[in-house]
Amino acid sequence: MKKGTFLALMALTGASFGSHAAAALPPAIKIGAVESLTGDNASYGIPIRKGIELAVAEINASAMLGKSKIVLTVMDDKADKQEGISVFTKLINEEKVSAIIGPTLSSTAFAADPIAQKAGVPVLGTSTTALGITAMGDYIFRDSLPQAAVIPGTLAKVAAKHNVKKAALLFESTNEYSKSEADVFKSSLQKMGIQLVASESYSKGDSDFRTQLSKLNARKPDILVFCSLIGEAIPVLQQAREVGITQTIVGGNGFNNPNVLKNAKEAAEGLVVGSSWFIESTVPKSRTFVAAFRKKYGSDPDQFAAQGYAGAYIMATAIKNAGSADRAAIRNALARLQNLDTALGTFSFDANRDPQHASVPLIVQNGHYTLFQ
Amino acid sequence: MDLSLLSDPVFLLQNLVDGLSRGALYAVYAMGLTLIFGVLDIINLAHAATFMWCAITGWVVMAVFGLPLAGGLLIAMLAGACLCLLLEYVAFRPLRREGADRLSAMISSIGMSLILVSIAEAVFGVETRRFPNSVLSPKPFHLGGVRVSPAQILIMAASVVLMGAMGYFIRRTPMGKAIRAIAADQKAARLLGIHVEAVIAITFITAGALAGAAGILVGLLTNNIVPDMGGQIQLRGLAVVILGGMGNMEGAVLGGLILGVIETFTIAYLPGGSDVKDAVVFLILFLILFVRPNGIMGRRSGERA
Repeated sequence: MKKGTFLALMALTGASFGSHAAAALPPAIKIGAVESLTGDNASYGIPIRKGIELAVAEINASAMLGKSKIVLTVMDDKADKQEGISVFTKLINEEKVSAIIGPTLSSTAFAADPIAQKAGVPVLGTSTTALGITAMGDYIFRDSLPQAAVIPGTLAKVAAKHNVKKAALLFESTNEYSKSEADVFKSSLQKMGIQLVASESYSKGDSDFRTQLSKLNARKPDILVFCSLIGEAIPVLQQAREVGITQTIVGGNGFNNPNVLKNAKEAAEGLVVGSSWFIESTVPKSRTFVAAFRKKYGSDPDQFAAQGYAGAYIMATAIKNAGSADRAAIRNALARLQNLDTALGTFSFDANRDPQHASVPLIVQNGHYTLFQ
Repeated sequence: MDLSLLSDPVFLLQNLVDGLSRGALYAVYAMGLTLIFGVLDIINLAHAATFMWCAITGWVVMAVFGLPLAGGLLIAMLAGACLCLLLEYVAFRPLRREGADRLSAMISSIGMSLILVSIAEAVFGVETRRFPNSVLSPKPFHLGGVRVSPAQILIMAASVVLMGAMGYFIRRTPMGKAIRAIAADQKAARLLGIHVEAVIAITFITAGALAGAAGILVGLLTNNIVPDMGGQIQLRGLAVVILGGMGNMEGAVLGGLILGVIETFTIAYLPGGSDVKDAVVFLILFLILFVRPNGIMGRRSGERA
């Protein structure tokens, strides 16, 4: 505690002499970004990279860090644990980055983040939502809302709209994100007094889910909950409609992906997802972000792009506040960050280095995510 | 055990339909594998990669160039035939000529498989491709509460038709007799004036065309076309070949259907069935082989194909 007070004092002095501190910044501050850029999960990783690159370009152009520039090294973890570990090792030991943004998937984070923690390199996840990500150590942060902060609100919204007494659940038993999300859904349903009448799983590589889905449907649930990454999310939705599921489907964070709408088409209609951000958000920073993103890339950003964009600004602010490219100093500045205006809204980390802001329930209507009211 | 579901006859029939269609998928895949084994005593581990290339080719001509299903199927079978013939010329024939043993042929096929998958990943990327609904409607038919999708009907029909056609080809046509003669004894067949190399080439062409059909059918049933799609069916294909009796065409179909039904019933009736399905499937495979070491339709070697 005493150390904490001391750090807080240092923070105050650091912040008040921000301009002096910035002078101590090296001309180039190396930041690594580890994202899934190939394979199905690239549909999460590529928007994140776009968000980060847009923010870094703005930061470097605006002289936010004085004469210093952020030098971004983006590397592909291929949504693979081993690849994540080797990319982290390379960034930390060879590139000597000051901090890392990423990785895209919780499963990769569980494998790679401990390496950064051990080396004392701050990590900011911008899409990891599983339970226990930041519990890996005091150098691990995230700006993506944990499942426990999104799911109860989403379920409450669905329950307010429909008479929900029975729910059924499908998840991937070979993926940490999906398993954790299923657990959070289970406990939230229990707290709300909704009976979980059936729970089924599948394994990585499965492509025929009809048996699991008919088994769930045989229990006549009022809603179905699916926790899948994009590769399975699409066939799961399509096959759910094929086996005759017409009830409301609640998707986990993996369903926050425009590819779901593009590929599953009408099978995605009525799908409810809890999101950390919505494109029509009226937050000023969000509006400038959407406009800048459209201008640079010619397409609409999604939640993952917004989290990546905000993540780069959070990191740059921490570097500015720290007045140093030193790993430990950046970590301490991140931990002290309070009430920062970002594209995700007013942003603060809680004591567990998780973000604190409200989630937005969305529903798919006419091929678009719209506010679920 | 989930007792309330056990007593539900519609659920049972539904699982039977789903299991048979899943099994038909394994059957069509395993037919080509077992044909090559029957003739040459080689396990062709590049069959899964051939199958994947056929699925991707089919996807390109149907989803990109808008060909109808029949055209896509034909082109995929043609692609499979060409690719399999290429494998014979590159990976198998040179080894046979040098008198290398069968293990070298298997290793050679693993190498070819890795090369084919890497090329596919480089050319098409590793993202999953999906057929548009215009290729085959996903809307299922309902028969007394049991749902059957057009893809399921197609794959079950295809497995029966292909089994019949292959049975006729192998048993009734002169080429089929030549294939059987080579399977029984290559040297004797050569002495009898059979052009062994040509017949082997025909065998590979046929096996490739079967892989092509399997690629399209699997793509339609699972709507999941990706360079590593072969990995998931490789192991089951081998299991089906062994279960049916190595080199036995009808055995491959029967073995495939049995495997598909067991797998589906494991998921449907065992709590947490999806997690243990592989263990259950291979345990039952082991038990069957314990009773019938040559497979369910197996005969002693020399009488194969």
